[in-house]
Amino acid sequence: MNDRESMLAALRNGLCGTTAPPLPPVLPSPELPGKDCAERFATMLRQVGGACEQVRDLAAAARRVAELLAAAEVRSLAVSDAPELAGVLEALPPTIRVYGPESDRTTLLAADCGLSTAQVGIAETGSLVLVAADERHRLCSLLPPRHLVLLPCSRLCASLGAALAALSSPDGRPRSPTVTFVTGPSRTADIELELVIGVHGPRHLHVLLIELP
Amino acid sequence: MTHLDAEHFDQNARAALQDATLRQALRRATDLFAERRARAIGAVEDWEALREQARAIKAHTLARLDHYLTQFADQAERAGVKVHWAKDAAAACRIVAQIAADHDCHRLVKAKSMATEEIGLNAALARADKEPIETDLGEWIIQLAGETPSHIIVPAIHKTRQAIGALFVDQLGIPPTTEPAVLADHARQRLRAHFAQADLGISGVNFGVAETGTILILENEGNARMTTTLPRVHIAVMGIEKVIPRFADLEVFLRLLPRSGTGQHLTTYQSLLTGPSPQDGPRELHVVLLDNGRSRIVADEAMRSTLACIRCGACLNACPVYQQIGGHAYGSVYPGPIGAILSPQLDGHAGATTLPFASSLCGACKDVCPVKIDIPSLLLELRHRAVLSPPPHQRRRPFLERLGFRLWAFCHRGPRRQALLMFLTRLLLRVPGVRRLGPAGAWTATRELPAPPRLPFRRRPEARR
Ligand code: SF4
Repeated sequence: MNDRESMLAALRNGLCGTTAPPLPPVLPSPELPGKDCAERFATMLRQVGGACEQVRDLAAAARRVAELLAAAEVRSLAVSDAPELAGVLEALPPTIRVYGPESDRTTLLAADCGLSTAQVGIAETGSLVLVAADERHRLCSLLPPRHLVLLPCSRLCASLGAALAALSSPDGRPRSPTVTFVTGPSRTADIELELVIGVHGPRHLHVLLIELP
Repeated sequence: MTHLDAEHFDQNARAALQDATLRQALRRATDLFAERRARAIGAVEDWEALREQARAIKAHTLARLDHYLTQFADQAERAGVKVHWAKDAAAACRIVAQIAADHDCHRLVKAKSMATEEIGLNAALARADKEPIETDLGEWIIQLAGETPSHIIVPAIHKTRQAIGALFVDQLGIPPTTEPAVLADHARQRLRAHFAQADLGISGVNFGVAETGTILILENEGNARMTTTLPRVHIAVMGIEKVIPRFADLEVFLRLLPRSGTGQHLTTYQSLLTGPSPQDGPRELHVVLLDNGRSRIVADEAMRSTLACIRCGACLNACPVYQQIGGHAYGSVYPGPIGAILSPQLDGHAGATTLPFASSLCGACKDVCPVKIDIPSLLLELRHRAVLSPPPHQRRRPFLERLGFRLWAFCHRGPRRQALLMFLTRLLLRVPGVRRLGPAGAWTATRELPAPPRLPFRRRPEARR
């Protein structure tokens, strides 16, 4: 008998004769108080130390990205492969070096800022859902000390439950081998429970909500 | 430092009570935790419904664990995960060391995980000269200090900022500081260098979804993301009780765990991994399924719900015993109320005759537990068992104790005898110093024994007439 079989046999023998209580049906997601999704998303994100602002369209987003990068004196930018970013990158001054997802790790570890979109935004918690199968943002969202995110309002959903549902393909299999939920900047409270923002992940998380697709 | 053991809980606890710094740190931390938790769950209308749902899901899953574990392993393998089965701690450590050797990995990084503490993984890997670097700030502090965690969520809860500052000065040669933000920044710099070089990542698992073979890791710092992203191989060690049936069940557990643990709506990061991701992540993903006594607990109907625990730490923060003595005194990997029921049942049976008694049965743990584990009842059951089947060296109670109870029984077989006993007792208690003698000393050392009343209780009714 191999290890799998012997471990499962131990369980099976131990449970033999047990009648399991029924598995309860999945609870419906809670109704959220009024407010539209964008407003709630922004409020929740700010509560955990993230920044959030609304812009009208992609062109406005591009202008705002350039401003934010200039204000933070960003010289090197790690970007994902999202097509939405093309226009934004064109509008950047040539002084900013841009590194794509295939750049080597050392370069990405040293970048000043990361730029990507997110696949889903959760209004309930102010969370971003990064689906790695749809966009290569795994490194640029994690390694640099800042992460700048463009999120079309159309990708907002109300609850955590709705976001989880969006992650499965029709046959019930997950759409992506890696999915990351991000709620605010990296934090720790490991020293006397005092909150410190920015440990291993980004210290600044800035989301631009885009009203028009 | 010397590691305390669970069999000497009494001595450990007494020593901890003398440590004023420890008690101050604990008081501060547990108060803060309780306050944050209360605020977070106050905002959730259907909290009780969520708890009941989680309890019911766990009760069902544990009673059919063979089925769900098979499903989890099959689905994970379908997604490209290499699944390993470890019946005990030694097997799990062997598997991890073997994977490291097979892939020629030498620079190991690790994200906080209680399961790997339970199996003593770091020590086992150190013997192969491959001790992983802990990357969670609290765990790293503990590793630098050569200690063990004293809380399942905040490993260094017992350390003050002054102590951590001094440790960093000593070990890392930084300029003196006690500022948490500065200390955290030093950790970031140091650990980045390790992340950049690491070739093997190790983590635990918070939930494993049977339906999809997905594993979930919750965290706040980003070190678990780093650990599961940068190295080319990843190993997740998962207790077999971590399985939940459906992907959609994650919602209820994600609502409960962060709120109970740290008072957050959601932890900063959740990593959901379904198989390896060669492009920007590990090329190989291994999951080590750990039994280490769990199948025995599953088979034990009265105790099965012990395994419903989602390791939120709320019962530690709520426990008046933990609040006074901290985690180390328990002398087991899992401290506090959950430790008092779990450790005695896992392989090794740490503290089987001591830990179930380390409680006043006040029920605070049961009230806060997000999966509604009836910890006081489980403690009573374990006490019962400990008394019925004490280990060989304790099977016979001491001579004086047996004699004492014989006398007690003899004296209660008639009213005269009883009156005589009480008379003698009252006389005896007047003798100075006698109240601290023998077994009475354990009680009176920290408490006042009231003086016996003039008139015995049994004579009061007639006196009143
Ligand atoms: S027993 Fe309950 S309260 Fe204690 S850690 Fe486990 S889930 Fe949390």
